[in-house]
Amino acid sequence: MRLRHAVASATVAALALPQAASAHGLVGRQDLPIPRWLFAWAAATVLVASFVGLATLWPKPRLQELQERVVARLPAILDVGCGVIGVAAFGLTIYAGLAGNQTGTANLAPTVIYVLFWVGIPFASALFGDVFRPFNPWRAIARGVSWLAGRMARQDSLPDALPYPARLGRWPAVIGILIFAWVELVYVDKTDPSQLAIMAIAYAAVQLVGMSLYGIETWESRGDAFAVYFNLFARLSPLDWRGRKLAVRRPLEGVVGLTPVAGTVALLSTMIGTTSFDGFSQGSTWSSIAPHLQSFFLDIGFNAEHALELAMTVGLLAMVLIVAGLYRLGVAGMHTVGEGHTTSELAGRFAHTLVPIALAYVIAHYFSLLVYNGQATAYLASDPLGDGSDLFGTGSATIDYSVISATGIWYVQVGALVLGHVCGLILAHDRAIAMYRSARDATRSQYWMLAVMVSFTSLGLWLLSAANQ
Amino acid sequence: MSRNQRFILLGLAAVVLVVAFVVARSGSSEEEGGSKSASDTTSTTDNQQEAPTGDAHRPRKPAAPQVATIVVKGGKPVGGVKRITFRKNGQIVFVVRSDVADEVHFHGYDIAKDVKAGGSVRFTTKAKIDGRFEVELEDRGTQIAEVEVTP
Repeated sequence: MRLRHAVASATVAALALPQAASAHGLVGRQDLPIPRWLFAWAAATVLVASFVGLATLWPKPRLQELQERVVARLPAILDVGCGVIGVAAFGLTIYAGLAGNQTGTANLAPTVIYVLFWVGIPFASALFGDVFRPFNPWRAIARGVSWLAGRMARQDSLPDALPYPARLGRWPAVIGILIFAWVELVYVDKTDPSQLAIMAIAYAAVQLVGMSLYGIETWESRGDAFAVYFNLFARLSPLDWRGRKLAVRRPLEGVVGLTPVAGTVALLSTMIGTTSFDGFSQGSTWSSIAPHLQSFFLDIGFNAEHALELAMTVGLLAMVLIVAGLYRLGVAGMHTVGEGHTTSELAGRFAHTLVPIALAYVIAHYFSLLVYNGQATAYLASDPLGDGSDLFGTGSATIDYSVISATGIWYVQVGALVLGHVCGLILAHDRAIAMYRSARDATRSQYWMLAVMVSFTSLGLWLLSAANQ
Repeated sequence: MSRNQRFILLGLAAVVLVVAFVVARSGSSEEEGGSKSASDTTSTTDNQQEAPTGDAHRPRKPAAPQVATIVVKGGKPVGGVKRITFRKNGQIVFVVRSDVADEVHFHGYDIAKDVKAGGSVRFTTKAKIDGRFEVELEDRGTQIAEVEVTP
């Protein structure tokens, strides 16, 4: 029988595939769902790791105090140089988007934005720290302008930055990420290069306004959606670039110091929820719900295109709310343990435990996009406008889909989810023993966090398995 | 945490491992069975054509190909977008019959062939890459099928 397997055996299955077959419109190859045996093993590993972890993890907090070691000092010119590169890359992307070929796959802009920027930087950040910060184009422009203004105006004539309203917290970042995710996953013209370029300009303009009102550093750490988003992942890295110094810390340690200002939990729920929807919207569950939603919006009087967009918007928001609700449920459970912690305090103080889970979701859903479509950079860099030019002689390069097999991708996906789960668990454990006076209460609170983590990891695994059936 | 709690948790971990082992085993054997029956019922003519000489005693019928065929009417696939599944390292064969002229693009493998109105094109290639790939009417931008290559 083995032999017959080797011989081509074609099965044709009539499937109601969802209309949005490729979420980004750039993808030439989609991942296969993980097989059942791998799903079973992954789920088991998650549970075993959880129980063993709960039984054997350290009894005294270990991560709560930052232990950093400065290993290098950096020249001031580095920051300037990176800023110039960042602004140049931003300018080139926008120019390509506006002036180039308007087919998404032939233009540099969509691949730079969706693959290198949106997916590549989180991977780089988790490994090498906050690498986006020095290259951040709008930050570089704002710093340049402020330096110029400082030289030209008299010192006292420049207005002071407004105090940043505490209620605003990370909410501007929540809105920014939500809008980006909507464009990426829902918007019909998601790969239209000139539209993307215009949105990028609009985004940069809003950031410049925010920075000029509240100060560059303040806005960057609270309101600049992408800076905040990348910084969250960077906190998991052992490298910390602070000012002109490079410091080394233990992995995970950086995220412990996340200040839970308003909107922090909302941001993490948005991150996990939108990535979930990317997987969910390609699955059979969604394709059985979507037509009903779509016909509802058609009946109200929207055209087919907008009805689909609206249906997907509902799905996207629902997914974010489900993730937020799951976390809230766990927190409400932890609240019953007592010792006088309020639910909102608990929600904030455990928010950082969601960061590794959010990263795991990003890896599980976008690893193959980065590995495959990242290669498109080779020919797009040579031909950024899609007009047939060949600047670096790589214009005829293609995407090599054999660099990693489907099996390899499965292991990366499942490995990321399991590792993210374990990291979340460690962070929650450490925070609990630091917060609760009695060890018994700390353990009891951890049953609830464990339930939250297991639900997120199971959801992640389910999205990989059932989602693409 | 008390010693007893610790033992209970570690015991639970052991139980989960055993359950997972059982589930994973039954899952993989079922999968094996499932794909066996699939290949039994859907073995294509290509199999028979390439069958070794051992099958020579069977009367060879003239080819009545059951090659997966995607029929396009009015620029849309008849019966919706279908998934055609092949095994890795096997042979991918499918035919697109269209009543409109367009370019058929098999993504990933990146093979593009022009089809005339009322004509058909045949795609044959070795299944070297696993994954799911779109087959698209390039000019219209309409997906007409999905090719799945399983490892």
